[in-house]
Amino acid sequence: MDLAVEIQDLVKEFRPAGRKEPLRAVDQVSIRIAPGEVYGLIGPNGSGKSTTMKALLGLVRPDSGICRIFGNDSMRVDSRQDVGFLPENPYFYKHLSGSETLRFYGKLCGLRGSKLEGRVKELLALVDLTEAGNRRLGGYSKGMLQRIGLAQALIQEPRLVILDEPTAGVDPVGSREIRDLILDLKHRGITVFLCSHLLEQVQEVCDRVGIIFRGRMVKEGPIEELLAVGDQSELVLKDASPELMAKLRELVAADGKAELVRSGRPKTTLERLFLKETVNRDEP
Amino acid sequence: MSRPAKNRPLNPRRIGVIAGHTFTQLVRMKIFYFLGIFAVIILASNLFNIQGLGRPDLEGIDVLRMIRGTSLGTMTLFSVVIGVVATALLLPKDVEDRTLYTILAKPVPRLDYLLGKLAGVMLLIFVSLVVMDLLMTGVLSLRTNMVIGEQAPRIANLSQTERDAFLAEIRAQGATWSLHGATLAVFFRAAVISSMALLLSTVSTSTLFTTITSFVIFFIGNFQADAREFFLSSGDGITLPARLLGLGVAVIFPDFQQFNVIDAVIEGQTLLGMDLVALGGIALFYVVLHSFVSWLVFAGKEF
Repeated sequence: MDLAVEIQDLVKEFRPAGRKEPLRAVDQVSIRIAPGEVYGLIGPNGSGKSTTMKALLGLVRPDSGICRIFGNDSMRVDSRQDVGFLPENPYFYKHLSGSETLRFYGKLCGLRGSKLEGRVKELLALVDLTEAGNRRLGGYSKGMLQRIGLAQALIQEPRLVILDEPTAGVDPVGSREIRDLILDLKHRGITVFLCSHLLEQVQEVCDRVGIIFRGRMVKEGPIEELLAVGDQSELVLKDASPELMAKLRELVAADGKAELVRSGRPKTTLERLFLKETVNRDEP
Repeated sequence: MSRPAKNRPLNPRRIGVIAGHTFTQLVRMKIFYFLGIFAVIILASNLFNIQGLGRPDLEGIDVLRMIRGTSLGTMTLFSVVIGVVATALLLPKDVEDRTLYTILAKPVPRLDYLLGKLAGVMLLIFVSLVVMDLLMTGVLSLRTNMVIGEQAPRIANLSQTERDAFLAEIRAQGATWSLHGATLAVFFRAAVISSMALLLSTVSTSTLFTTITSFVIFFIGNFQADAREFFLSSGDGITLPARLLGLGVAVIFPDFQQFNVIDAVIEGQTLLGMDLVALGGIALFYVVLHSFVSWLVFAGKEF
């Protein structure tokens, strides 16, 4: 079976005005994403994430290396038949309503008639914009724009979805909704290639991650492997009495080899706390 | 390789989708309404020259000629301005707003995108010109009948032949097929300047630069024929650099003087169908040439 994404030894240089030497934005980057996988590309600003994605979409031409989508050269228009793309901070046509936007992109992909209308309704429901579907995008919030952007990316039922900072500028609630949508795509077997600054979110949704720094891939692998601290083990107890904890410490000390690094109460995340105290609050 | 789709360039349906969207975009940007109202005001103002009918020096016919001139002049102004400004605005706006990313990330060949944008602008100009032509025809028909009515006592004593000739002369200044042909010539000229603006907007990222340069080219294009004659003339005293400059101007700039057939139509002359077909052919040549070069530039562009 073809890989969903195959980037091999990608090199891309830019020649900024007033600079003699070319600026190497992407340097020998290789990424392979299997169908159905969720892959996260993370890295600081200007590290080459967006350029890599643009090369994969044919928006920039690689200086060397190859980019393929399901086996098709990404510089060929046909390769885009299977791809949905949500750019960072997208500004869609403000004069169109949500449903008109989806119809426009659907028609570009060759959808027509009842199939298109059905797809528009289905996607508006998926991104929870059914009621706002007839409103012009000029009146949409940032989160709503991201969600309609995600819907347009899915209009032709692509097998690969590329998301560039899908939660940029979105509040924690909207961010969580987009995270849930990505997980939904994963369950449907759609391959997702995303880059984000929200590392916790990447950790939650991605099967594998790549860390890119100054244009080079510095680390890549399954998220569980990358995050595991090799020589440590974790034991989380519920309702443990002080006596039991004391016994455990004694056992560890008696072992002679093992060492208790840390004990205490595990902490929730600020995001979970925020959601618990706002949208998931029991009483008004 | 799996699920290879056929997304060849020049797909009429896809171009139509982009053209239709561009048309909607421009209409909702109120450009259409603003210029439509402007045109209506100009055309409607002709009705207020009614008192001029009584002037013996005008004898009605010159008033009709004035309406034709004003109307076609307004149409030319409107179509050229909208052709340049709308085309110069749309492409950089899509790049700036990153909507271009989402469009080109779909199976849309870049040529189809460019042609769709151009076709959308042309559609807007065409529809506007049709509306203005209808208004002009209505006003002219009304005024022609009024002129004939005013002249009725004067021609009552003429022979039938003389009367028919006089009426034919008046009607020739009214709404004629040649006048509709002149409107079509206005559209052809606007199509050429729009495609030129499209070419410039693929090279430049500045809307202001594209707009100003397009107007400069339009201005120079009106003297292109003079430059060509200057190059071809065998007159003494013309230096080689001057001759080459003439050649350069003649080659690079479209000859907009060819579309000035509307001046003759305003004067009441007949525009032959063959001349109109030839003008259409010239316009098509320029539009295809500009679109092709635009595509060559745009195809290699990175975003």
